[in-house]
Amino acid sequence: MAQSKTTAPPVAVDAVDVAKNFGAVTALGGVNLTVPAGTLTALLGPNGAGKTTLVRIIATLCRADRGRVAVFGFDVAEAPAQVRARIGLTGQYVGLDDALTGRDNLVLIGRLAGLAHRRARSRAADLAELLGVADALGRSVRTYSGGMRRRLDLAASLMTNPPLIVLDEPTTGLDPASRQQLWEALAGLRAGGTTMLLTTQYLEEADRFADAVHVLSHGVIIASGTPSELKGLVAGRVLEIRLDRPDQADAAVAVLASEAALAAQAEPGSGRLTMPTDDGADTLLSAAAALRASGITIADLGLRQPSLDEAFLALTGPATGAAQEATAPAIGARP
Amino acid sequence: MTAASAALAAETGPEPRYRLVRDSGLVAGRYLRVLRMNPGRLIYPLVQPIVLLVLFTSVFGNLTVSGHHGSGAYREFLIPGIIIQNAVLTAPIAGLALLRDAGSGLADRFRSLPMSRPAVLIGRLAYDGILFAIQAVLLIATAFGLGFSVRTGPAGVVAIALIAVVFGASVSVASAWLALTIGDIETAERVMYFPAIALNFVSSAFAPVPYLAAWMQPIARVNPVTSAADLVRSLASGGAAARPAVMLGCWVIALAAVPGVLAVRRWQASA
Repeated sequence: MAQSKTTAPPVAVDAVDVAKNFGAVTALGGVNLTVPAGTLTALLGPNGAGKTTLVRIIATLCRADRGRVAVFGFDVAEAPAQVRARIGLTGQYVGLDDALTGRDNLVLIGRLAGLAHRRARSRAADLAELLGVADALGRSVRTYSGGMRRRLDLAASLMTNPPLIVLDEPTTGLDPASRQQLWEALAGLRAGGTTMLLTTQYLEEADRFADAVHVLSHGVIIASGTPSELKGLVAGRVLEIRLDRPDQADAAVAVLASEAALAAQAEPGSGRLTMPTDDGADTLLSAAAALRASGITIADLGLRQPSLDEAFLALTGPATGAAQEATAPAIGARP
Repeated sequence: MTAASAALAAETGPEPRYRLVRDSGLVAGRYLRVLRMNPGRLIYPLVQPIVLLVLFTSVFGNLTVSGHHGSGAYREFLIPGIIIQNAVLTAPIAGLALLRDAGSGLADRFRSLPMSRPAVLIGRLAYDGILFAIQAVLLIATAFGLGFSVRTGPAGVVAIALIAVVFGASVSVASAWLALTIGDIETAERVMYFPAIALNFVSSAFAPVPYLAAWMQPIARVNPVTSAADLVRSLASGGAAARPAVMLGCWVIALAAVPGVLAVRRWQASA
């Protein structure tokens, strides 16, 4: 086996110009991605943006049509075995045998990854403890809740303590408590120095946990940076107004447009309006005055930082996930 | 872990050379464990063949057929045919199981592990070999109860069981390739048994080849089911076994080699 290199490359994943088509559909249209070792990098994007395809290419499950991907310096196409020995994959669908117990699953996967039987058993017990599934190890996975499956699946990817963990939408479909538990486990791993690359649709997760976020849309990365850098792409701050009567939302949007020249967006049904603003307090005052003059009662209003959601929507455009042609929008925020 | 240790492989396993054997054993062990936790899964592959053997022999066993080796009783001719056709009918289980796995998250897990690629197929076949062996023992024991006899003694009995196991496993390889090529589990569940039934009927499993319709005879003569059934009949009656043995050997090697390689490729590519 390729043993020691005294100076390790500081890059866990280095992808250059990766492209992949499925028939006429362009899944990836030339992606460059660098994941520095020891970081948690999030790939953010709507359904069909190419996140899963990129992750599968990195995990040697699928071949790129063009471009080059190296994992800790090993090319995924030329040295897949070396790559597989260095990654743990937690796929979009849980990679467990439902008919087996949790312990049997972990031991099987650990042994197939190269551990000796005894080592696999003790590692399974340790990881189950760490991820809070120790009590269920002797039960068939069929009886597990969704959150327990996800955590056992993560344990399975950690059996050999690989330096890179690749997670494809690890928290999709989990209730808030299970998501929290999974994130605590991932935070613990990052503290231990494990590099993580994950895909997510939950912007708030990327915001809270990721060191770097890459926004993918229609097979290309349209923005990269830290969560706060991405939020900075949306101009200024956001004025948020909550109306007393949700049914007045449309009227309020019209009043704000005509009387205060503000482009407000109404959240359907909630009576909540948001609008970007560069001059904060002035906008707040003029919006409040315009609404008051038209007799629309405000329940609450305030200025806040834009959320990553707003940055994301501004970057990917409103019709996310729909069947659009694979022409990528140019980088930068829409006005 | 520091960046320096990140360059090292995770805890590494044995040399790749041993991995095929080791990983195949682990995969076979997985299926055996599942079976231990769900013993009900044995009912179909073990009970049904015995029921069919008893029914077929009880209904048709007393007919008399001339022109084949052995005595005049159809029973002596039919029982080896039933043993072999049963292996063919059991084989699609392997293909369907692999196809079910191929579409699951577990397959992605296996593909992302530094394990031996063919082990997924070979491990499954090892498990099926065990099933075929249990099946053969039960069938032969039941057959003795129905008046079947083997003139070549205990060695002949063991040889008959081995033929059922090896032939069944080679048809399983073909079923693995067929299932993975079909790719859709719903379709495969309906389609897979059709060629198995056709293979059984266009052979000497139920009737001597000269009794078949004229258009069937050339196919039946080269059909591996014919070679396997005839070889079992030769072992039972003490007749000449060389010709069917050579034919069957060629078939087994061909089935294991060609669809085997294609099935492993399919498994890897069906990601």
